[in-house]
Amino acid sequence: MDSEDDMMDANDVESVDDDFYSGEMDADCYSDDYGDYDDDVDEDDDDDSGPDYDFMAEAADDSDVVAARSQLSYTVLKEEDIRQRQEDDITKVSTVLSIPREAACILLRRYNWSVSKVHDEWFADEEAVRKSVGLLDGPVVRFSDAELVCGICFDTLPRDRIASAACGHPFCKQCWSGYISTTINDGPGCLTLKCPDPSCQAAVGQDMVNALTSSEDREKYARYLRRSYIEDNRKTKWCPAPGCEYAVDFVAGGGNFDVACLCSYSFCWNCTEEAHRPVDCGTVEKWILKNSAESENMNWILANSKPCPKCKRPIEKNQGCMHMTCTPPCKFEFCWLCLGAWSDHGERTGGFYACNRYEAAKQEGVYDEAERRREMAKNSLEKYTHYYERWASNQSSRQKALSDLHQMQTVHLEKLSDIHCTPESQLKFITEAWLQIVECRRVLKWTYAYGYYLPEHEQAKRQFFEYLQGEAESGLERLHQCAEKELQQFLTAEGPSKEFDDFRTKLAGLTSVTKNYFENLVRALENGLADVDSHAACSKGTSAKVTGICKARATKGKGNGKSGGSSRNGDD
Amino acid sequence: MANNTNLPRRIIKETQRLLSEPAPGISASPSEDNMRYFNVMILGPTQSPYEGGVFKLELFLPEEYPMAAPKVRFLTKIYHPNIDKLGRICLDILKDKWSPALQIRTVLLSIQALLSAPNPDDPLSENIAKHWKTNEAEAVETAKEWTRLYASGA
Repeated sequence: MDSEDDMMDANDVESVDDDFYSGEMDADCYSDDYGDYDDDVDEDDDDDSGPDYDFMAEAADDSDVVAARSQLSYTVLKEEDIRQRQEDDITKVSTVLSIPREAACILLRRYNWSVSKVHDEWFADEEAVRKSVGLLDGPVVRFSDAELVCGICFDTLPRDRIASAACGHPFCKQCWSGYISTTINDGPGCLTLKCPDPSCQAAVGQDMVNALTSSEDREKYARYLRRSYIEDNRKTKWCPAPGCEYAVDFVAGGGNFDVACLCSYSFCWNCTEEAHRPVDCGTVEKWILKNSAESENMNWILANSKPCPKCKRPIEKNQGCMHMTCTPPCKFEFCWLCLGAWSDHGERTGGFYACNRYEAAKQEGVYDEAERRREMAKNSLEKYTHYYERWASNQSSRQKALSDLHQMQTVHLEKLSDIHCTPESQLKFITEAWLQIVECRRVLKWTYAYGYYLPEHEQAKRQFFEYLQGEAESGLERLHQCAEKELQQFLTAEGPSKEFDDFRTKLAGLTSVTKNYFENLVRALENGLADVDSHAACSKGTSAKVTGICKARATKGKGNGKSGGSSRNGDD
Repeated sequence: MANNTNLPRRIIKETQRLLSEPAPGISASPSEDNMRYFNVMILGPTQSPYEGGVFKLELFLPEEYPMAAPKVRFLTKIYHPNIDKLGRICLDILKDKWSPALQIRTVLLSIQALLSAPNPDDPLSENIAKHWKTNEAEAVETAKEWTRLYASGA
């Protein structure tokens, strides 16, 4: 069977893989040797694995950022940017239509902050537009008296204590303040504020609000206006991360909805769930729904049952003794504590209710029950549990990595900088490693949703997928291990050492290799593992292409290891 | 009458005007111990199923009045698609369309108008509205019947 070849090739790669961090292959061979596949990724490779990518030099970092930015199909907006853009749009409309800024603002809000829509509508039928938003040409009532009666408190007051919208209906300033304040506290409806006269449609805009209310109300109104600018505009959305106040302006047509906010949260612009490449929005929705429907069940099963060691069906222990008998047809008798056969117990384990095996193992610390159960879950519980657990554990690893990253940035980097007499700017490689770990945990997490929905009958794809996933996992483990454990010794070191330079080379190399591997993985999965299809359809020629991904990665690893190393030599 | 000493001038003026120049078919007078609580009577409009009836209502001016709408409720039982069995009224100016430039008088006039023109498309009482839409003649008969039964002795 074809897929057999596949796996054999894959295994071959694994053997190459084992030594690829210490290897000496040339980085350039990567892009030349692997035909079609590489054409898709060349663009990135130039930035990432080519000579530009130098872990040591500041300049290289900058060029990397620039390269990444040029591909972005979105802009993250800070509060100041939002204000600026809104001001600019208002100015544009105000200038083109020759109307006050306040009126321009009312119009923009009416047409969801689309400047072109305002222009279109206005020039098509100015009268209708004016009417629909309550922009009057002139007052509908005029008074010549020196004193006027406020339409709300009925007091007769001198003109200087009376204010009116464009319509001229007189209300005293105190009542205006109460009226506007009440509306603002009722919510964003205050943005379509009208004259209090029930028969009048005259709009009340920001100038009037600012002139007649407290600073607290003014600020609230401005906040609603800013919110409207983001929420009513089809091109912008708030970052959904809790507490984040940035917004994202998205330019359609990139084909990729992933957005990384400046707050470090990544989300999908299309569905506003967290970023989920390589899985599509529909799958994510299904998966999240599934989790919410089944996680309760699953948690209960995991917490309250153990799988029968023989038939793997989950068993809830509802009676006191440790002697378990599985229901027919299995009928296996076993010990609840150690999950060993009951026939091994009794006299030999020191009596009926004592399980020495369990006690002894627990004392030695080798008996990791959770570990064992995780292992069991794979076989016993539904397929879903298998994927869900891994999805969830990558999620929590990611959370942990995020907090480690934070710890690194706030505490450890400064310490390392002192110990090793290196400016913090030269320690960026550590931050980058952690950022990469966070990103990889996210991708890996979603590969489990991907795997769950990958059809059972597509054997070749499944095998290939699991291979890629397994490799991704172990690659990431290596990186995580290096960034977490190997770093420790340098935190307690006495002073600068040659070892720290070696560590730098290794960690930077691992970061780059892992980054490339995951990027390729995402592309391959987004592509629906299409290479496997073509492989099944035609002959051996494409089989080389499939494994090309792995080989490419392997050789790339060597390339980077080397380029990292050589650049170090250069710098030293 | 401690709580009446701080009564806003607007409420005093409105009250005076309501008493001195009442709207036709409407009377409203403040309670003796609470100037914010009004006893209201509305005569059933002519050519409506409520003709000949005298409908009692209560009207209360909340602390925020006139920034917030008055609270009004029918005390007399009435068969009307926009009024439920507790006497609560579905009327836009009592809710989101309230404006501080409206007054007790305008509110009561609106309620009077609502008796002349029931709006079964925006019902408060589903059953009555359904009755109104499927068999208006019969619903009008019931309304007349209720007026005779509950609103004549006032």
